[in-house]
Amino acid sequence: MEDIHIKGVHEAYFMPTVNFEVATGNCEISGESYLEETTKFYAPLLNWIRDYIDTVRGPLKFDIKLSYFNTSSSKCLVDILDMLKTYQKKGGQVTVNWYYEDSDEELEEVEDFILETGLQINKIPME
Amino acid sequence: MESAEVKKHRTTDNIAISYTGIFDTEILSVLAKEIEGTLSPDDKINKKVFKIFIELAQNISMYSLEREQNSEGSDMGVGTMIIRDFDGYYEFSAGNRTTKDSIIPVMEKCDNINSMTRDKLREYRRLQRNMPAGKKGGGNIGLIQVALTASNPIEYALVKCEDGEYFYIVSVKINKE
Repeated sequence: MEDIHIKGVHEAYFMPTVNFEVATGNCEISGESYLEETTKFYAPLLNWIRDYIDTVRGPLKFDIKLSYFNTSSSKCLVDILDMLKTYQKKGGQVTVNWYYEDSDEELEEVEDFILETGLQINKIPME
Repeated sequence: MESAEVKKHRTTDNIAISYTGIFDTEILSVLAKEIEGTLSPDDKINKKVFKIFIELAQNISMYSLEREQNSEGSDMGVGTMIIRDFDGYYEFSAGNRTTKDSIIPVMEKCDNINSMTRDKLREYRRLQRNMPAGKKGGGNIGLIQVALTASNPIEYALVKCEDGEYFYIVSVKINKE
């Protein structure tokens, strides 16, 4: 199993920066997410999490620092959170930190992700 | 096809940004930059308008009845978007040709969204987010997101064109405060 490192791009579409590390279980998705083929981009990330849960079985720390994501991306983010919740239920150690910008709407959306997935998410204002 | 409603949609009063034509990646990127960088001195407002633009422009790209091939040969929707600048608010409008059968469920969805409190809308978004994606891969929650981002009702109009087709216009106000 290998790390995932994707450098974010802000052009016609916005690709987020992704860093998933096998050795530490530290994962970060940051920047902006608005993609031409959203599910195609997120599928390898979901596969990585699945493999990590099945083979490494270590702790997972997710830092989500997205200043913008469209609705298609939000569905994929829910898929990731659902997977983390399932792992946690089976005894996996999961921490999710969601960094939000200074806006009531963004805070509301994080709260909705918590309600939607049942996962505890730490809400941290972005500096 | 110029009915009074469409003319109103196309009036040049208070226009900050307007575009009519193919909604392909290149054009969307230019429009997005305009909105992000120059529309309002308040970045929070620009971000709101940008979020609304992305969701409604994607609808035109995917669902407009009028289609054109872009430079890469991909089939993309043709439509219109206008951002008007008024005292106290911006108004974002998007319009495209459609069939009555395909747009009636969208208008019903707008009515449903407009009838909900913010908490109900958030609940509806959570519900819809867990539904399978729309037939063309859309998140199926774009209009809900537009209403939540704007914090204002979604207005719409359906105009019969002279050739028997329909032109659908969706508008939303974004408060400056």
